[in-house]
Amino acid sequence: MTQGTNRIKTADDIALEKLKDILLRNDRKELDEIRSILNDQNKLAEKVNPILREHFQFLKDNFSSDYETIINDLVDKKLKQSEKELLDLIYPSLGKMISKYVTLQMSSLKESIEESVKSSFSFTRSFTSFFTGVKESELIIKDAVVSTIEEVYVIQRDSGLLIGSASKNNSMDDEVIAGMLTAIKSFVEDAFNTESQDLEVIEYGSYKLVIRSYYSFYIAMAISGAMSTNEQVEVQERIDTFASYKMKLFKGRFDSSKYEISKQLEQDFIDL
Amino acid sequence: MISKKVILTGSFGVGKTSLFNQFVHQKFSDKYLTTIGVKVNKKAVEVAGEEVSLLVWDIAGEVTQDKVPTSYFLGASGILYVVDLSRPLTFKNSEEDIKYLKELLPGAIIKIVGNKKDLLSDTELTQVQKSISLPLDSTTSAKTGENVKELFLDLAKEML
Repeated sequence: MTQGTNRIKTADDIALEKLKDILLRNDRKELDEIRSILNDQNKLAEKVNPILREHFQFLKDNFSSDYETIINDLVDKKLKQSEKELLDLIYPSLGKMISKYVTLQMSSLKESIEESVKSSFSFTRSFTSFFTGVKESELIIKDAVVSTIEEVYVIQRDSGLLIGSASKNNSMDDEVIAGMLTAIKSFVEDAFNTESQDLEVIEYGSYKLVIRSYYSFYIAMAISGAMSTNEQVEVQERIDTFASYKMKLFKGRFDSSKYEISKQLEQDFIDL
Repeated sequence: MISKKVILTGSFGVGKTSLFNQFVHQKFSDKYLTTIGVKVNKKAVEVAGEEVSLLVWDIAGEVTQDKVPTSYFLGASGILYVVDLSRPLTFKNSEEDIKYLKELLPGAIIKIVGNKKDLLSDTELTQVQKSISLPLDSTTSAKTGENVKELFLDLAKEML
């Protein structure tokens, strides 16, 4: 080639060049056009995009039929490989869901039993109920489902300071619980701008926190197990009675010297 | 035992939670974890032979105090308004904030606390103190623990 470039062109060479020009003119022109398309992104996109779009549409229309088996096999394989990890992830949520579902079912079961009892009659049950003072429905289900008052807190409404508490378990510091409860209550009431309404119930799985607010304090009770609507009404009545004792004891001023008497009230309440 | 509600408030990132952790648990962490809402914790201290239970409400930082839900402040006996000595932006609104807090809680003891003292030299600290419109009641370092316990004890004493 080097030799060729230095060589003086003969008449034959010039003629050959001309012949090549004539024969390859159209091909060269097309080649230049192709090059210009390839080097220009917009021009290339103009040509390629319709093809890609068509291909994507084809994939979209036929993906499930063509690739279903392959994807299913892959997912199956991956699931089998990660079985333990998956169970670890699902199990806690599943447990909570089941627990909440069972509690809900128990509540409706209790309510339906109460309804049935109202429409049926049993001499023995009525006799026992009459002499013991225990409701007939409770006699039927008392061994099956138990709802228990686990903890009770009497909390100063504004400050969140604890006035009194009683617990069946040794939970975390009751003063901190009272503070956090007040913070949550304040947050909910502020966030939803509910000046005349109070936060009344917080539910956590099968655990229910019933809150009853009074002028200068509020009472929070942690209850485990299912409660029928009637039981909830009864509990609220009990809280009201308990609150009236509290009001009489403190007469609007939360004096620390009365805390011991107050604590006994809570203990009596929870032991009932 | 007497219980008192104490509020830790101020702009974000000034070290309220660190002061709280240093006072309650004698611990400090370099990791910054922003407080969401409020965190309540307790520490019992002895003041003049009397045991006082301090219920400390560590409130999420806000640029101005009128953005904090007012119900969080209700019933508080003491307020620690914390600023970051190394960030002038955190004490820019201090005058308005203190005025607002005094109107909201006229009977409460309010202390202005300059935290992160460890990040400043003595000369810098003097300059910062001069530049703040309201005098600081205490300068602390949650990192080293300097003046932290004293701050809470002084507040407890004044609240009694």
